[in-house]
Amino acid sequence: MSAGGPLLEVRDLAVRVRESEGPRLVRDVSFEIAAGERLALVGESGSGKSTVAKALVQLDRTVEVSGSVRFDGRELVGARPGDLRRVRGSGIAMIFQDPMTALNPVRRVLDQVAEPLVIRGVPRREARRLAVAMLDRLGVADAARRAHDYPTAFSGGMRQRVVMAAALVGGPRLLVADEPTTALDVRVQEQVLDLIEEQSRELGLAVLLITHDLGIVAGLADRVAVMRSGALVETRPVDELFADPHHPYTRGLLESVPRIDAAPGQRLRTVADAVDDTRESADA
Amino acid sequence: MTRFVLRRVGLAVLTVWGVATLVFLMTKLIPGDAARVAAGRTATAEQIEAARQRLGLDRPMVEQYLHYLGGLLHGDLGWSASTKQPVAVDLQVAFPVTLQLVLVAMVFTVVVAIPLGTFAALRHGSAADAATRLVAILGGGVPVFWLALVLQWLFAVRLGWTPISGANGYGLDPPVVTGATLVDSLLAGSPQMFADSAAHLVLPALALSAPFLAVVVRNVRSTMLGVLGTDYASFAVAKGVTTWRLVVRHALPAAASSTLTILGMQLGFMLGAALLVEAVFAMPGLGTYLYTAILNQDTFAVLGGVLVTGAVFVLAGLVVDLIQMAIDPRVRSSHLAHA
Amino acid sequence: MLARGSRRLAGRRAGALDVLATVLVLVLLVLAAVGPWLAPHDPYRADPATALLPPGAGHLLGTDDSGRDILSRLLAGTRATLLSSVAVVVLSAAVGAAVATLAAASPRWLDEVIMRVVDMFLAFPSMVLALGVAAALGPSLTSVVVAMVIAMWPATARLVRSVMRETMAAQYVEAARLTGMSRRRAMLRHVLPNSLDSLYVQLGLDVSGAIVLIAGLAFLGVGAAPPSADWGSMVAAGREYVTTAWWVAFFPGAAITVAAVAFGLFGDALRTRLDPTVVRG
Repeated sequence: MSAGGPLLEVRDLAVRVRESEGPRLVRDVSFEIAAGERLALVGESGSGKSTVAKALVQLDRTVEVSGSVRFDGRELVGARPGDLRRVRGSGIAMIFQDPMTALNPVRRVLDQVAEPLVIRGVPRREARRLAVAMLDRLGVADAARRAHDYPTAFSGGMRQRVVMAAALVGGPRLLVADEPTTALDVRVQEQVLDLIEEQSRELGLAVLLITHDLGIVAGLADRVAVMRSGALVETRPVDELFADPHHPYTRGLLESVPRIDAAPGQRLRTVADAVDDTRESADA
Repeated sequence: MTRFVLRRVGLAVLTVWGVATLVFLMTKLIPGDAARVAAGRTATAEQIEAARQRLGLDRPMVEQYLHYLGGLLHGDLGWSASTKQPVAVDLQVAFPVTLQLVLVAMVFTVVVAIPLGTFAALRHGSAADAATRLVAILGGGVPVFWLALVLQWLFAVRLGWTPISGANGYGLDPPVVTGATLVDSLLAGSPQMFADSAAHLVLPALALSAPFLAVVVRNVRSTMLGVLGTDYASFAVAKGVTTWRLVVRHALPAAASSTLTILGMQLGFMLGAALLVEAVFAMPGLGTYLYTAILNQDTFAVLGGVLVTGAVFVLAGLVVDLIQMAIDPRVRSSHLAHA
Repeated sequence: MLARGSRRLAGRRAGALDVLATVLVLVLLVLAAVGPWLAPHDPYRADPATALLPPGAGHLLGTDDSGRDILSRLLAGTRATLLSSVAVVVLSAAVGAAVATLAAASPRWLDEVIMRVVDMFLAFPSMVLALGVAAALGPSLTSVVVAMVIAMWPATARLVRSVMRETMAAQYVEAARLTGMSRRRAMLRHVLPNSLDSLYVQLGLDVSGAIVLIAGLAFLGVGAAPPSADWGSMVAAGREYVTTAWWVAFFPGAAITVAAVAFGLFGDALRTRLDPTVVRG
């Protein structure tokens, strides 16, 4: 463990589709996350948030990543495949948007949760015990028995717990959660977010939460990075950002969150409205 | 689950009945006097009359049909005018030879096509795509009997690497137990006979699998591409698995069920093509039997063979479906949901 | 960079293949029309003196066991091969589409019964079904065509019926129905044309398959009665001479391959061009 420095340090990250001269999907992205810190990366769909998430451990083989991603002091861009694999799962874990598709339908839940341990040479019996314990910890009732089921036997919320168990079982230090609640219904969304926060506190786990929903950011994140069209527009502590957004785009995002204390009949503003405002004031 | 199995078996039984009915109708297509055809070219008037009695041709159609179905239930597939014995007895000898050839060719296809298709999917690019498209069409366009002849000429006649034809060399036929030479030579405990039987199978199996290889490779490739693009494949990579493990533990099991469907479909085409390949290599199987029967205008023997092939194909489909249900929880749960 | 180059190359190669296939199909059609007049020798005149001559100056592709010129026989057989294959494909497409339409327009139970019967036919490998029918009918080109149609229509019926099922449920058909169009009219105006499109794109590939199947039947002895110059029967005749006179079986088989591959590539090219549901990549 490197003393002092941030756990994850991203500098000038750029991503483009391999072998194309097309525009970069993401450019000049820089941010850092300290150990145990929770950073939310927000933006509309298409802003490049998920591309950044996948680029950290180079999950997408169709894109080319440049810049620098240092995790725990080690450079990941251009790292050897073996080194990259060691970081995946045991250093940086990921959970995905749709828990219905993130689990292999033809493999038992137990095998999928225990896998990060098995591939690191943990004896099968021990790996399975730890996997059941992790499922239990994440609130899968009757985990020892249900672990032998296939994913089809689980509801959406339960599957996201299973996915998280598989992500956390290897003891990662950073959890990248890519829109972890978008595909879930509202009640389950809250449970999953609580679970992420709880695990983050208990395990000292850093979290990078990717979301388009500023509404869920406030309770969970320490800092927020706002992304638009493939670039970061501002990165600030969460309460500061909510109180006084600097960038008009951020203002737009904030104003488009429905509020309980809004006047009845008041129209919900769109991001475009806010951006139009700035354009008009600039014209004037 | 049980309900689904029962329903699937019921459907298979119904289909076999349909197959039998179609074959019955085919006998009605025979122009002129069917009894004359059934009795053979050299039959006397009494023999023709006997054939007429046996087939019940002088009775009403419905009665003939019931009589025919009743016979089938007792294993009566008709009488061969050229071999002068029941078709069922002939086929007991011939069919295992064909089945062995088809299974060996199928194993060969699977062993080659799955790694090739997977490799193509991992390295996917349009050059490979164009190549597989071309190979698939070439594979579909080459008549299997011609390919068999070319292989026979090249490897057996010119190079002398393999036997030219037949199922066994002189004095090396294993004592018949199952009719499949590989199994019988093992049962006889003779490595020499086994090697001889295998040597006689190499070229026919190669010729038979060639047209199907291309189709199966292409299908495996596209199935694997689909699986490798899923979230759960990405999640597995995010967990830190190697490419090898991703393919073997995640992608292949997920691709198994649709690959099995394709193989099941190919099995029927392979049975048809096996008849041609056998005729080239003079293997004493169904193909050679039918070829000889056609040559002798022994129509009822031909139709007996046709019926058995149809029934075997239906059973193969049933087996594929049941295996699929056993290995794929998705299939299982969807059937449970509908049951 | 390298992969991009090869992709461009692949694109060009695919284009060149399409052109080659089209040219081959055209050449075959021309040969089918005028082939007999191009034949250097009488394709039917047997002459023991010239039996089993290897390919050479007098006989470009050699002669068969009866001393007939193989090239001339191939040219003479082109028309029968193409005509019978195309006839089989067109007839079975027509029968299949008609049955599918009938099923779609029928009450539910009858639709179910019709499609079950189609499934019975599909329970046979097409080669085996055709073999049975052709054997029952006796050896002649007509019985082969009838047998092939009986073997091939069910696949068409299944295809058209399933496309129809999808199209019937499509929103634009529903919209047409809501404007007061009758069920029959909606079927004729919207569902049928749409379903037939999926059939057209299949035709080239079907012709390719029919060429190979018909040749296979002829090889097994159910086909055009001798001495007509049928490609499949010519291969069968050369079977006995594989050790001594390879050319007797080789050239007719090569002709079948070229014709089947040409129609296959041509059909595939048509499909990629015409079928909006095939993604070009």
